[in-house]
Amino acid sequence: MNTAYRNWLWRLLTVLILLSLAAGLWVATKKIDYTWRWNRVPQYFLYHQEEMKTIPFDGRVTKIDNLGDKTRVRVISDDGEEKTFEIDTETIRVNVNDELLEDDDLGATLSWRAGPLIVGLWTTLWLSAAASVLGMIIGLVTGLCRVSNNITLRQLSVIYIEIIRGTPLLVQLFIFYFFLGTVLDISRITAGISALAVFAGAYVAEIIRAGIQSIPKGQMEAARSLGLNVPQAMIHIILPQAFKRTLPPLAGQFISLIKDSSLVSVIAITDLTKSGREVITSTFATFEIWFIVALLYLLLTSVLSQVIAWVERRLAVSD
Amino acid sequence: MIKTIDLKKTFSGRGQTIHAVDGVTAHVKSGEVVVIIGPSGSGKSTYLRCLNGLETLTSGHIMVDGIDLADKKTDLNKVRKEVGMVFQQFNLFPHKTVLQNIVLAQQVVRKRSRVEAEEKGQQLLVKVGIPEKAEVYPGHLSGGQQQRVAIARALAMDPKIMLFDEPTSALDPEMVGEVLDVMKQLAREGMTMVVVTHEMGFAREVADRVLFMDQGKLVEEGTPEHFFTEPCEERTKAFLKQVL
Repeated sequence: MNTAYRNWLWRLLTVLILLSLAAGLWVATKKIDYTWRWNRVPQYFLYHQEEMKTIPFDGRVTKIDNLGDKTRVRVISDDGEEKTFEIDTETIRVNVNDELLEDDDLGATLSWRAGPLIVGLWTTLWLSAAASVLGMIIGLVTGLCRVSNNITLRQLSVIYIEIIRGTPLLVQLFIFYFFLGTVLDISRITAGISALAVFAGAYVAEIIRAGIQSIPKGQMEAARSLGLNVPQAMIHIILPQAFKRTLPPLAGQFISLIKDSSLVSVIAITDLTKSGREVITSTFATFEIWFIVALLYLLLTSVLSQVIAWVERRLAVSD
Repeated sequence: MIKTIDLKKTFSGRGQTIHAVDGVTAHVKSGEVVVIIGPSGSGKSTYLRCLNGLETLTSGHIMVDGIDLADKKTDLNKVRKEVGMVFQQFNLFPHKTVLQNIVLAQQVVRKRSRVEAEEKGQQLLVKVGIPEKAEVYPGHLSGGQQQRVAIARALAMDPKIMLFDEPTSALDPEMVGEVLDVMKQLAREGMTMVVVTHEMGFAREVADRVLFMDQGKLVEEGTPEHFFTEPCEERTKAFLKQVL
């Protein structure tokens, strides 16, 4: 009972510290006289788009059928041409027998649209996913070259890894966008994805190398003594075990990749970060939007780490 | 079956060269059980590993079933299909179940169907006495059971020769017996075997011939009776005095 009680006290302390931090932030923002406008945020996730329906000719409303949420409006032109429009009931602007001129409003249809933050989140998601898959392939190939017996392959992979790890990602992005983008005539999206993939690949390669080298030599010997050749032994014996061991560092690498993808906003790709900046220019809700953007990144990364934890548990059956 | 002619294997590193195997000439006939004994570092394991090409030869020749391993054109994988090996550390594949361990190479190398390979695997598990462990992962088995699975895995390839590299050295004493029993049964069935071991009892009981190696050289060879009762060489006598 004693330890359980003490554990609760510690948990209480954690909550207290978090609360006092939040209170501190609140007091600090009070001092600088910042007006929080959280109510402005939701519309940048989802908004109701109004599409106005107008009458295409001079004419008269002949009939209005209320179908609940929708209303059917029938109009007739001066020449006797008839037309029917479907309109959301709450937006209706006309009554039966109203005389209308061409392009007068009848009412609107409403539809939900994803706001810039959701669009940005989606861009970040698929950009990172594409870069992860490519980075994994590059890393796997480079990692295998790194442990190969061929000196050229080994040296080339070392040079690649050293160059990428020794230069900032931001600079690499600019080189990919301005230099390669111009020379090879590739789009900004392609440049962004390949820069991220090449960057992640170098780190993945080192992780894969470490994973392969951590498998006891006896595994390869046992596989070879059964008559498997090197590629077969790699595919069936070494890589599955190496993959299991390298899952935690690989997860870290891909989580980093999601976060690093925010840098592509500098080459004018409208990812989550750039969307956030754009929303701020129209709302001036700087604090709110950056907090929201941070939360959305946190959402992506924590979902990824949950998925990887699940895979890890699945692979742990042979332990 | 196996002919070794003036086999030499040297390791070099850090400025020194070690002659692990230094001019060994020995032959193994079909159906023969040859036991190699000798002190640690005598090169007996290295010699054994040369026999299926796990170590490259520095010089000399090894003919396995008429194929020269020293020849660069030899496809070692083809030779290895016919030569099974059992390791001191078992080297089972930890991410695969016992049955998958036995099935894998049959499917990949021998191109057998899954059903056929699994049937063979089950038969071999019965043979080594642990049919109930088929779906278990190696990590959950005792050392003796793991080594028996390793033997079954090697046998699944229908090898003509079986090499054993100190198969009982990493086992708890009470598990040595179960592994030796399987090996004895194999010997009785007429399998060609080369065994590196410290189990003098096994050598005396099962071996057709005993080779004694020291410092990379083949010092003495003979039948177990000759070897354990009236060895000629001084070094053999000294070694036997220590181990018996």
